[in-house]
Amino acid sequence: MTTTTPFEQHPLYPLINPRSIAFFGASNRFSAMGTNQLHSVQSLGFKGKIYPIHPSEQTVLGLPAFRSVTDLPEVPDLAVLVLPTAIVTQTLEACGKKGIRHAIVVSGGFNEVGGAGTALERELVAVAKRYDIRLVGPNCLGVVNPHHLFNVTFAAFEGRPGHIGLASQSGSLLTQMFHYLEQYRIGFSTGISVGNEAVVDIVECMEYLAACPHTKVIGLYIESIRRGRAFIETARRIVPHKPIVAYYAGGSEAGRRAAFSHTGAMAGPDQLYDGVLRQSGVIRAASLTELFDFCWVLGRCAVPQGRHIAVLTHSGGPGAAAADAASRNHLELTPFAPRTLAKLKSMVPQTGSVNNPVDLTFSRDPLDYFRRIPGVLLEAPEVDGLLVYCFVPPKNMQRMMENQGLSDDELAKLTDAIADDLAANAASMADAHHKPIIGFTYQSTEMPIIRKLLDHGIPVIPTPERAVRAMMALAQYGERVAKILSQQ
Amino acid sequence: MMNDLIRVAATNGAKALSEYTAKQVLESYGISITREILVQTRAEALAAAQTIGYPVVAKACAAELMHKSEAGAVAIGIQDETALQKAYDRIVASVGAPLEGVLIQEMVSGPRELVVGLTRDPQFGPCVMLGLGGVLTEALKDVVFRVAPFDRIEALDMMAELRAQALLGCFRGQAAADRHALADTLVAIGRIGIDHAQVAEIDINPIIIAPDGRIKAVDALIVLT
Repeated sequence: MTTTTPFEQHPLYPLINPRSIAFFGASNRFSAMGTNQLHSVQSLGFKGKIYPIHPSEQTVLGLPAFRSVTDLPEVPDLAVLVLPTAIVTQTLEACGKKGIRHAIVVSGGFNEVGGAGTALERELVAVAKRYDIRLVGPNCLGVVNPHHLFNVTFAAFEGRPGHIGLASQSGSLLTQMFHYLEQYRIGFSTGISVGNEAVVDIVECMEYLAACPHTKVIGLYIESIRRGRAFIETARRIVPHKPIVAYYAGGSEAGRRAAFSHTGAMAGPDQLYDGVLRQSGVIRAASLTELFDFCWVLGRCAVPQGRHIAVLTHSGGPGAAAADAASRNHLELTPFAPRTLAKLKSMVPQTGSVNNPVDLTFSRDPLDYFRRIPGVLLEAPEVDGLLVYCFVPPKNMQRMMENQGLSDDELAKLTDAIADDLAANAASMADAHHKPIIGFTYQSTEMPIIRKLLDHGIPVIPTPERAVRAMMALAQYGERVAKILSQQ
Repeated sequence: MMNDLIRVAATNGAKALSEYTAKQVLESYGISITREILVQTRAEALAAAQTIGYPVVAKACAAELMHKSEAGAVAIGIQDETALQKAYDRIVASVGAPLEGVLIQEMVSGPRELVVGLTRDPQFGPCVMLGLGGVLTEALKDVVFRVAPFDRIEALDMMAELRAQALLGCFRGQAAADRHALADTLVAIGRIGIDHAQVAEIDINPIIIAPDGRIKAVDALIVLT
């Protein structure tokens, strides 16, 4: 007898982890959206059964095609519909009769176009209700679950299974981030394009992602929240266990009741969502870039106990920029205790500064910079988190080893090995002290030390300002959790 | 009884409660308001001012009168009987709308003004606002919202979110605002929104923080659905 976890019992589990799929709307023409989506499923190496349904083709992308869903040899876990609007509802009904209980409807032309589309969506929902079908969409771009080798979005998946669970009211945003995240060695655990939310809405997606063990942080791209109270209550239940980050793309003022009071006049959607997200314990990102920066660090770093940070740099400008950004984001560059100062003095050259930011001005030895000094700062009880400026030209690292008489190839290997060792050490120090380390840089992610830090799970974020904001998000998360727990 | 005030007004088709009635509702929810007496005659006005103590404020009081100062229906800083008599006559003459009466009210002053209010959002229901009050409310837009109901901790968190939160601390020789009373006010406004579906919007503008830190609702508006 097999046992199932609560996660596997979640109503959306078969939709996001299907064992078998009925696919409507794929052919052998790559000009068709459905064909591309089926190709995405195949190209990630989906392990389950795929049953293309096609009125005339014998095979679709090399798979035997079926004339109708009734002809299928089993009841698939999931139906994917990429069909003309007019035949979507009748097709869903056929799926329901077959016994299919999960569907992704990619097709558009429903509520988002208004008028007749709204009526069509009502019919679609009625069919879904009649057959008890959990339905994502319509007007969505699908779902990606790289941990299950399942990608039914328009774009082929590039990257790795990751820790970010995204529920998005913008479908294409999902696919456009595949490569973006991969460059930082992070990725989606699951991505759901929620479309019109006719049946499954963003709140239900949050519940699924909260239960998903691969998801370390939940990201939301929001244009509007339909079930306001359910959103707040659900988020407040999830946040103590798993962080939620939201980017709110601004709502329409239309349909707003004319206000007589100052309060009514001031209740613009931006101000209102600010309060709603804070009350929900959700971290609000100020931009799309921040949405992914915050998801990056919240899934990777320990949560700081407070807002006292240390900045380590060997260059004045970026260190000062980080310090400046910190004060604007209500993070405090903590003054070091005498014990910490004494330890730092032996490691920092005369020209440098042992005060916060710790500025080496010139880094003699990457071992000091990435190992001994971070160790001193992390073990200092007055420091809650550490920001490290990362600029190590590989040539400089190699020059230090040139007098050892090694070939170029051996030098490159040795550089890599040293970088790997430093990065592994930094990661284990952060773990041991339960404090976050966030790097910041203007260098490419392909520089050896940066690549290795990323590989070992230390975020290295472009620009001091973004790194500081990410540190602030970590601190905010700690504060949100503490507040919610104090209210229980 | 307060339920009745709102229900009766709503069934009579009123668009709003008068300041006097609105403040009675607020007071029944434990919100601190100005001492005030509704009067119908000049003689009653003089007696009321005697009870409250000069200086006083006189305001026309009517449900339809949502923006009193624009209608010339308010006189502040009235120091004595002569001034009160003049103000009373002017107010009665300048307001065309039928009056519930003239409101004689203690004069509360202090440079620190807040706004507290309620609005209804189609998705979130009753939402409570706290912000910088007085004439600066709409210019500076320093306001924060929460969805009702919520607790004191949440209300204190609203204060921490204001950009102008320094005003709530010890400020230019004035005592720190009574944060607990303010928190209770915010929670209570949310409760009114939950308890009374007929209440569409509330403004308490301003709530004044007195030099000793006490807070008091000086003007109030309750708009009905």
